[in-house]
Amino acid sequence: MYSVYEILRDNWLLLLVGQYPSGPLGGIVATLILSVLGIVLAFPLSVLLALARLSPWRLLRWPATVLVYVVRGVPLLMVILWVYFLVPILIGREVSGFTTMLCTLVIYEGAYLSEVVRAGILSLPKGQSEAARALGHSHLGTMWFVILPQALYNMLPSMLSQFISTIKETTLGYVINVQELTFAANQINNQLLTKPFQVFFILALTYYVVCFSLTQLAQWLERRIAHKRLGATPVKPAEEGASLPTSPATPAPTVATLP
Amino acid sequence: MTTPVSPTAGRPLPPKDDTMILFSDINKWYGDYQALADINAEVKKGEVVVVCGPSGSGKSTLIRTVNRLEEVKSGQLLFDGHDIHAPMGSAALNRLRSRIGFVFQSFNLFPHLSVLENIMLSPMRVLGVKRADAKTKAGQLLERVGLSSKAGAYPAQLSAMLFDEPTSALDPEMVGEVLSVMRGLAHDGMTMMCVTHEMNFAREVADRIWFMDAGRILEKADPETFFRSPQHPRAQRFLSDLRAH
Repeated sequence: MYSVYEILRDNWLLLLVGQYPSGPLGGIVATLILSVLGIVLAFPLSVLLALARLSPWRLLRWPATVLVYVVRGVPLLMVILWVYFLVPILIGREVSGFTTMLCTLVIYEGAYLSEVVRAGILSLPKGQSEAARALGHSHLGTMWFVILPQALYNMLPSMLSQFISTIKETTLGYVINVQELTFAANQINNQLLTKPFQVFFILALTYYVVCFSLTQLAQWLERRIAHKRLGATPVKPAEEGASLPTSPATPAPTVATLP
Repeated sequence: MTTPVSPTAGRPLPPKDDTMILFSDINKWYGDYQALADINAEVKKGEVVVVCGPSGSGKSTLIRTVNRLEEVKSGQLLFDGHDIHAPMGSAALNRLRSRIGFVFQSFNLFPHLSVLENIMLSPMRVLGVKRADAKTKAGQLLERVGLSSKAGAYPAQLSAMLFDEPTSALDPEMVGEVLSVMRGLAHDGMTMMCVTHEMNFAREVADRIWFMDAGRILEKADPETFFRSPQHPRAQRFLSDLRAH
C-alpha cells in the first residue's frame, strides 16, 4: 500500500495534467476536457439526429436512422480506427490524436444520445403536440417551443449518465496515443516497470471516484426532476409575472380566489 | 386578429353566406370501425353548437376533424369557405388552425411555461405578435376570467383549481365563469362547437344541440326542444338515463 502512496506522491502532476506545461496537456484534465467537449458537441448533433428520425420526411428520416443503427452496431474501437485513418485522407493532412478522438466521440455519443432524445420526445403525452398543432404551430415550431424544452429537461439524468460512459470511453484513445489519464498511467508504468498492479489500481480508483461522484449527481437530479414533475416543489415564478398589476412573485396560493 | 388565408387553402364559397362550418357527407373509419357516418351539418357564424351523446359516439372525433387533427375518409368540410381537408401546404393549414381555437378535454397546458407564457406563446410564434403586445393581451384575458393572480404560476401549481373533473365537479362559481366567458365570446361573434357531458351546461350555453350516437348525428335541435321533447328514440333513452342517475 505504501508504494501506491509513493507513486502518487511522485507522479500526481503527471496524472493530473500530463507533461503540461513542458509538453502536451494530458492526464485527468485532458480526459475531462475530451469528455466535456465530446458530449457538448454531440448534444446538438443528437438533437438534430433525433428530429430527423422523427421527421415526417423520409429523406431526413432514413439517412439518420441508418447512421444511428450503424454507429450503434459497431464497437467504439472500430469507429476510432476508421476516423483515425479516414479523416487525414478526407481533409488531406494529419490530425492530432486528440482531434481524432473528439470527432469519434461526437459521432458515437451523438448516435447514442439521439436515441435518448428520441425517447424523451416520444414519452411526452401526445396531447402536447396536438395542442401546439391546433394552435397553428408548424412541426418544427411545435418541437422547438413545446416538445424539446420539456423533453430535454426530463432527459438530464440520462444525458449525465451518457457523459459518465463517455469519460470511460476516452480510455480507448490510448490506442491512438491520445494523451489522457490512461496514457499517463501507462507512462508511469513504463518508468517503474515493476509496479503495474499499483499503477493500474491508482488508475482504476481515479476513474471510479470521478464516475461515482457524477453518478450520485445524476441520481440527485433524477429525484429532483421526479419531484418537480409531481408539482410538489415550488417552481420559480416566471420573470414575466413581475410587471403585472398583481404580484405573482410569491408562489401562488393553491386556493382559488375568484372575483 | 384575422390572418389572411391564401386562396390556395381552399376554394371560397360564394359570398352572402353566414355559414362558418359546413360538414358535407363526412365519413371516417378506424379500420373496420366507422367513427363518423354521413355527417351533414352546419354551424352558423356566431352560433354555439353543443355536441352531446354517449361515450364513443364520435363527438370528439367530429370536433377534431374541424381543425384536421383527424383526417376524414370522404366528404367535404368547409371552414369559413375554406376546404379544411383539401390538399394544402402545412403553412396554409397552420394559418387556418391559428384561426380555430381548441380547448382540449385534458387541457394540455404546456407544463414548462407559466400561465401567462402559455397564452403568449402562440400569438408570438404563430402570428408574430410582439412580446409586449402579447403580454398586455394575455394579461387582459386572464383578468377577464379572474385569473390574474395566477399569471406567474405553472400549470402543475393550478391543480387545486382548474383540473378538478371538468365534467362532473366544477365549482359552480367556475361553471358560471366558463359560461360567462363563452357567452361573451358568442356575443363578440365567436362561433363555437363544444363537446360536453354536462347537460345543464349544454342547456345554458347552446344555441343548437347536436345529438350523436355511433358516428351519426341523430338529432339537431334548439336546447329547449331537445331537453323537453327529444324526437329520436336514442336521444330519449340517453336523456332518461341521465335523469335516472
